[in-house]
Amino acid sequence: MTDQSQSPVLSVEALTKDYPGVRAVDDVSFSIESSTVHCLVGENGAGKSTLIKMLTGALQPTSGRMKVRGSAYEPGNPHDAREGGIATLFQELHVVDELTVLENLTLGMERSRFGFLVKSDLDDRVVQTLAAIEPSIDPSARVSSLSVAQKQIIEIARAASSGASVIIMDEPTAALSEREVARLFGVIRRLRETDVTVVYISHKLDEIFELGDAVTVLRDGKHIVTKPLSDVAGRSELIEMMIGRNVFQDYTPRTAVTNEAVLIARGLTNKLLKDVSFEINRGEIVGFYGLVGAGKTEIARALFGADKVSGSILFKGQKVGNSPKEAIAAGIALVPEERRTQGLFTSLTIRENIPVMNLKRLSNRGVFRSSVELEAADEYVGKLNIATSSIDKYAEKLSGGNQQKIVLAKCLFADADLLLLDEPTRGVDVGAKAEIYDIIRSMADEGNSVAVFSSELEEVLGICDRIFLLFDGSLETEVINGPDVDAAHILNVVTGGRGGAVQ
Amino acid sequence: MSDSTKIGRTLLHTRRRMSDESFITLLVASVAVGLFLFASILVPNFFQLQNMLNLVTNNWAVISLGVGVTFLLVSGNFDLSVGGIVALSGVLAVWFSQSAGGGSALSTGLGFPYWLAVIGALGGALAIGALNALFVVRFRIPSIIVTLGTMMLARGFAQVITQGSQRNTNLPDVFGMLGNLTVFGASVKLPVVLMVILLVIAVFIEKKTVFGRLTYWIGANAVAARLSGIDKDRHVTYLYLFSSAIAGIVGILLASEFKSGYSNRGTLMEFDALVIALLGGVAIAGGFGSVVGMFFGALILAVVTSAATGLVLSPDWQYILKAIAVFVAILTQTWALARRNR
Repeated sequence: MTDQSQSPVLSVEALTKDYPGVRAVDDVSFSIESSTVHCLVGENGAGKSTLIKMLTGALQPTSGRMKVRGSAYEPGNPHDAREGGIATLFQELHVVDELTVLENLTLGMERSRFGFLVKSDLDDRVVQTLAAIEPSIDPSARVSSLSVAQKQIIEIARAASSGASVIIMDEPTAALSEREVARLFGVIRRLRETDVTVVYISHKLDEIFELGDAVTVLRDGKHIVTKPLSDVAGRSELIEMMIGRNVFQDYTPRTAVTNEAVLIARGLTNKLLKDVSFEINRGEIVGFYGLVGAGKTEIARALFGADKVSGSILFKGQKVGNSPKEAIAAGIALVPEERRTQGLFTSLTIRENIPVMNLKRLSNRGVFRSSVELEAADEYVGKLNIATSSIDKYAEKLSGGNQQKIVLAKCLFADADLLLLDEPTRGVDVGAKAEIYDIIRSMADEGNSVAVFSSELEEVLGICDRIFLLFDGSLETEVINGPDVDAAHILNVVTGGRGGAVQ
Repeated sequence: MSDSTKIGRTLLHTRRRMSDESFITLLVASVAVGLFLFASILVPNFFQLQNMLNLVTNNWAVISLGVGVTFLLVSGNFDLSVGGIVALSGVLAVWFSQSAGGGSALSTGLGFPYWLAVIGALGGALAIGALNALFVVRFRIPSIIVTLGTMMLARGFAQVITQGSQRNTNLPDVFGMLGNLTVFGASVKLPVVLMVILLVIAVFIEKKTVFGRLTYWIGANAVAARLSGIDKDRHVTYLYLFSSAIAGIVGILLASEFKSGYSNRGTLMEFDALVIALLGGVAIAGGFGSVVGMFFGALILAVVTSAATGLVLSPDWQYILKAIAVFVAILTQTWALARRNR
């Protein structure tokens, strides 16, 4: 660890970012000491990613200042940020599979003379950097032969050898196995020894305690605290700072909930899922809550038959899980995670999007009933309050919230008894969010069942009657929602604290 | 806010707007008509009813193939095999019909009755279509590669059967009937009538049936289609069989018209079918386009090429003219759509 006299490598002062209607980052000030691993934690929506985007030049702050080694730092774009010595390791990898490790590391920095590449000391320097942080990778190996973790290390090495003094890592372990995580941590520690500062973002609190020197907690866009991790008492203190006093919205126990199981899943297992079993009752809204990569989408897709898993799924006594077609016929509908690529026909109109999941109702001996289509479009545009001038508007021209309502309308038109919603309000504005929650509640009040797969605690605590907590592919425990639900316990479980009490 | 209250109850959000597809079809149709009028000014005797009819009747084969190709393009798939199938089914029809025991290898066939020969030839065409479907649907190989392969495969079989030459002897009289039969008082050939019937059926399927709508959904977003419960694999299989059946019938009719089986028949027809579909506003990425648009696309191509041969230009210029027509038409469509949706 470094001594206190050194000036901070990176600091922000009164940084604020406004979006229409929301203040995503609100008057945040803190600084990061040189050669440390500085962790950034907060719930989804706390403002972490907005803050990072400002640091990397992808977004411009509304007001406030950023400083690198005491001098003003105003990146206009990610390229400026790199020039300023700040590199970012995103979740999506930016390596070229067809090239060798060395070629990847020197990409864009090649020296040439008369259009021909010339050898320079660059190669040696890069090889040295790589050897320093991860000697096991052969510089002449083809990148396509490497694992995800090794590719990540290539990116880190590239950032380090380009002279970055700060490397921001956004949930770098989301796609890694335990052994690979240990290896990445080794790399990060060696980076710290070579005077590189790492800003480390993760939801997995254990990683933060294992790796971090200092931590900054954000909540609802505000800066809560920055302090050395040695001064943090444990998981419970960190969780308390992350959630504050009151995260639940206005959950009120619902009367439509029954004890009659409509869906029984037993022993769902695949590459990620580990023997997941649960039941969903009629009239109930259940939540599946966990971090990114905990297995939420996998469960949703398995129930819908989009991916095959081992285990058994019984819906109203009938075996399902073989194909989406079978699921829909049985009365299950899915609002997929990625609405633009998986849910919507963006190049078709609202009218043409809505009826796709219920061809029976649409067909009169194979002939298309356009009057049904027209009425359905009109009905759902009105019912779901979809803001559009016409049902003949193309889906791609609508806002995220309205697009999501169209995907919901598809499922409602399918007359499903069980609605699976994978991140139903991701990228949706606040107003539409509340409307979508109302739609979900009224669906369930009519005697249908709803499963919400979400990585937002506030969402599951706001609408779900019962919440299944997932961590790393296994269903750890379930929680009955109510006025005295223990949010700290929930966060503890999904961040890897297992089913036990908060330490 | 509403202008359609005819279907029982008031629709509140139904301010209807002409779809982009109708807009493009209208645009393509006006270009076809405009080009025809323009050519009529330049070329003497171009503006005649008979000439207008000829533009359609001379192109019955390509327009028919264009129907299957259009459906496949809308679903997001190519079909380059139709030209090869035309050759194969024609050659098969001849080979099956030629009486056994002719003077030479090329005049000796299998001696089937004509109806059986037609069924056999259609079977050959459908086999190629099934092969397309198998590779595209089951093995997930890009359709452009698959149908490029089957294009050569079909023509290759035709070439082997004809030994690189023609089969035109030892045929029963009935063989030449279908392709040369005329209706409506000797002015319209049967294949042209069949083409019109095919167009009507295709437009009905496209606009009025669930099958037609499935094609658009699959082409617009195959992933969303699957997650909406659509059996994409089965649908694309049907489309390949449909397209190869049309190509098979075209091949049989052409063989009948010329009373010969010729392995080079239908060469480049697959590209002409693709070109008229694109001229007609069908999106190469899928999810957009119509059979009617393809029909007018064919007219544009026909006007351009026939006007050229009527002009001082030698027929050698026709490829250049086709190329110019394609570039101009595609640019106009892109520009007009962008302007409309600005």
